[in-house]
Amino acid sequence: MPSFNIKPPILNHELGGLHPITQVKDFLLNLLKEIGFNEVDGPEIESEEYNFDMLNIKESHPARQMHDTFYVENKTSVLRTHTSPVQIRSMLNSSPPLAIISAGKVYRKDDDATHLPMFHQVEGIYVNKEVNFAQLKDLIYKIVYGIFGEEVKIRFRPSYFPFTEPSAEVDILSEDGKWLEILGCGIVNPIVLDNCNIDTKKFSGLAFGLGVERIAMLKYEVNDIRDFYKSNLDFLRQFK
Amino acid sequence: MKIAYEHLIKFIPSRPSIENISEKFFQLGHEHEIQNNIFDMELTPNRGDCLSINGLLRDLSVFYEVTLNNEIYTDDIESLDINFVNNSPKACPSISFLKINIQGEISEYKGIFQDYFDDLDVNKNNFFTDISNYISYETGQPTHCYDAEKVTSLISLETSIEEYEFKTLLDKTIKLKDENLVFVQNDEVINLAGVMGGSSTACSKDTKSVIVECAYFNPENVIGQSIKYDIKSDAAHKFERGVDPLCHEKVLRRFLKIVDEHATIKNVEIFKRDYISHNSIEIPFDIERINNILGLSYNSEELQDYLTKLGFNIDNNKILAPSYRSDIKTENDIAEEIARVIGYNNIPIQSLKIPKLRSAPAKDLELLEQNIKSLLISEGFFEVINDPFVNHETDNSIKLDNPLDSGRKNLRINLEKSLIDNLLYNERRQQDSIKLFEITDIYYLEKKQLKNKRKLGIICSGRVGKNYLDFSRKIDNKYLTNILDKFNKKISFNPHLINRDELETKLNNKIIYLEIDLNELESYDFDTIDKEKLVLNKNNFKKYIPISSFPSSVRDLSFAVSDKEKYHELQNLLLDYKNILIKEIFIFDFYHNEDKDEIKIGFRFVFQSNSSTITEGEVNNIMNEIIEKALSIPSVEIPGLKR
Repeated sequence: MPSFNIKPPILNHELGGLHPITQVKDFLLNLLKEIGFNEVDGPEIESEEYNFDMLNIKESHPARQMHDTFYVENKTSVLRTHTSPVQIRSMLNSSPPLAIISAGKVYRKDDDATHLPMFHQVEGIYVNKEVNFAQLKDLIYKIVYGIFGEEVKIRFRPSYFPFTEPSAEVDILSEDGKWLEILGCGIVNPIVLDNCNIDTKKFSGLAFGLGVERIAMLKYEVNDIRDFYKSNLDFLRQFK
Repeated sequence: MKIAYEHLIKFIPSRPSIENISEKFFQLGHEHEIQNNIFDMELTPNRGDCLSINGLLRDLSVFYEVTLNNEIYTDDIESLDINFVNNSPKACPSISFLKINIQGEISEYKGIFQDYFDDLDVNKNNFFTDISNYISYETGQPTHCYDAEKVTSLISLETSIEEYEFKTLLDKTIKLKDENLVFVQNDEVINLAGVMGGSSTACSKDTKSVIVECAYFNPENVIGQSIKYDIKSDAAHKFERGVDPLCHEKVLRRFLKIVDEHATIKNVEIFKRDYISHNSIEIPFDIERINNILGLSYNSEELQDYLTKLGFNIDNNKILAPSYRSDIKTENDIAEEIARVIGYNNIPIQSLKIPKLRSAPAKDLELLEQNIKSLLISEGFFEVINDPFVNHETDNSIKLDNPLDSGRKNLRINLEKSLIDNLLYNERRQQDSIKLFEITDIYYLEKKQLKNKRKLGIICSGRVGKNYLDFSRKIDNKYLTNILDKFNKKISFNPHLINRDELETKLNNKIIYLEIDLNELESYDFDTIDKEKLVLNKNNFKKYIPISSFPSSVRDLSFAVSDKEKYHELQNLLLDYKNILIKEIFIFDFYHNEDKDEIKIGFRFVFQSNSSTITEGEVNNIMNEIIEKALSIPSVEIPGLKR
């Protein structure tokens, strides 16, 4: 009998994967870089000055209370509560026009079913001559269409952030007819530009911020934010 | 804050539908939900002026004709000689007291005052406190009622750091600590200003003589107090967001009117004092600037019309904000008012083209990370992300001043503990091949200075892989160093073995761990992987299928196949076999015995249910079906199987 000429089974080498939050963060960064933003980064431990004062978040603002923000080393610094201080550093170190995005871990003193003490943000700022709210809307449409496709319905709602004025929150309409909040944005408060030595008679700016976990939950349809951080291989394998 | 639809439309003659008002609220930025004709408002923190019927009606008046016609007490009121000292005028720039004596019985509550309790299901307390609660709902101004017979001597308002014990009017005893703004009588705190009054001077059903306090407290002096003492306080919620500093007399006359409608007033006196006068903010009426902020081209008349409807005065090219709008300070605030009235969604879009600006070249560290990630992923490693909070403290740990709990009071200075926890978590879930990595910044102290490093942690244990070549190979030091040699052979990486004795685990697979300081690695040359070949995940956003929390069960089947044609048929049959309880099927063993012209092939079946712990019976039924089908293929046998 002739010997078998056997083709062995395909050798299945399992590939690993990036964490889904890293994937979404990278996806957002690539999208924004294509629009024209440059990425910058900064430290996760920040001074109160950069994390709050420069951003017009006054000392009495509830976000600065010990129950909302992590303070370290006898209140000398904070774990940054957003990536906005990176923008402050960039504005102080360069002059307009500038279009920058920052992404990374941020910290708030929350730990429950819907909030984690650590999560991720991607924030952007564009400062130039004659930047206005109507242009901000154009940018937001580009971002939201880039994430959710051009079929998605978008609405803008007035909101409040100390560092933007006017401020808006942006919702998308879900398949089951509910409006879901996806990002915050606004015209940079001239007080913030002033703090960064930018001439507000010449320049204005727009800014936006997205929660990476929020986008990941919507895109992947993960209902419990805590699932992202259990490091369960059965979970992580689904995002290869 | 809950507001009844019926209470709003009493003042809007056109009686718009609840849906119509809801739409306008959203346009104005007042988020809410509706249940049983009640708006549950979630207002932004800058709009304290809208925390009332009147406040919301003022905003709605840009869309509807609104008649704010609640009656007030118009008779002259005698001056009250009250024994009061304000020792904190900065915290309380203005305050008024109204002393009312009533006689006889109080009639049943009437009109909107009664509707408030009925429609919002609010519990009644006593006559004066009930009016105070209603007035806060109607006007947005909190008032506090003292039983006048319990106020017997000098009251002072103090910013105190003394550690008083204070019993609230809801009989909760709290220990005041740090700085507090308090009303004090005879060395006893009778009111935590702007938050809640005390039980010792509280009104009761029998109170016939009341002192109503109506104050403006600076938000800075009230913020955080209700959280600090765990007191739920509508007053604090309003003072924190800013109330109208010029409303006192009108509010107290409205209070008095309701008293008058329900009881016989025997005597009434008023005390009003401004310690620091209120300055209105003037903003230049710069039409071009307002239009430029929004990208619009409205004319002066159009802008004036919008602003006047919102209560602003325009005089001599200056905009004067109404006293209740403490949030209005700049032209950007004015632009926001215009945008809200027009509707953010109605502002036409203008194309934004960001000019090509200088960008910093990709950093070596970034390229290094990309290459390392790609290498590890191609070898089956998964990235994990952990928070930095740990219990373990070292000399150079950064300590949190306000940790979530005592187990998370330091920032980690290495990744080992987190990754061991991740590994053990997966071992407990029956994972037998675990390969994880994490890349993150860690922060630490060096000579009292904050420092940070970029770290890579790698942990692995168990089987090398799930294919028939790797299944029986176990991860060891050599396995990991071989992988890292692909990165740079010249660097000697020294993974170490984690001692299982200190871990709560019964397994004995070696745990291999390596931590690398990426900043140090940056200085070495490394073989850059071609960008096209980087094995980084391409995001396809596949819908996530919730994973099971129930244990899995494993069965192995080894076949002997003597006809090579049939071996492929067997392989296809089993690898494509579908059952809702089968989580995974793979070939863990393959051997071609050339002497016997026979193939030995082993399949592993992993069972798991999404709804319950899978039973032996369920597994056996499926396995019997699989065996039946497999053995129906000619030349396929299961050595040693007795049927």
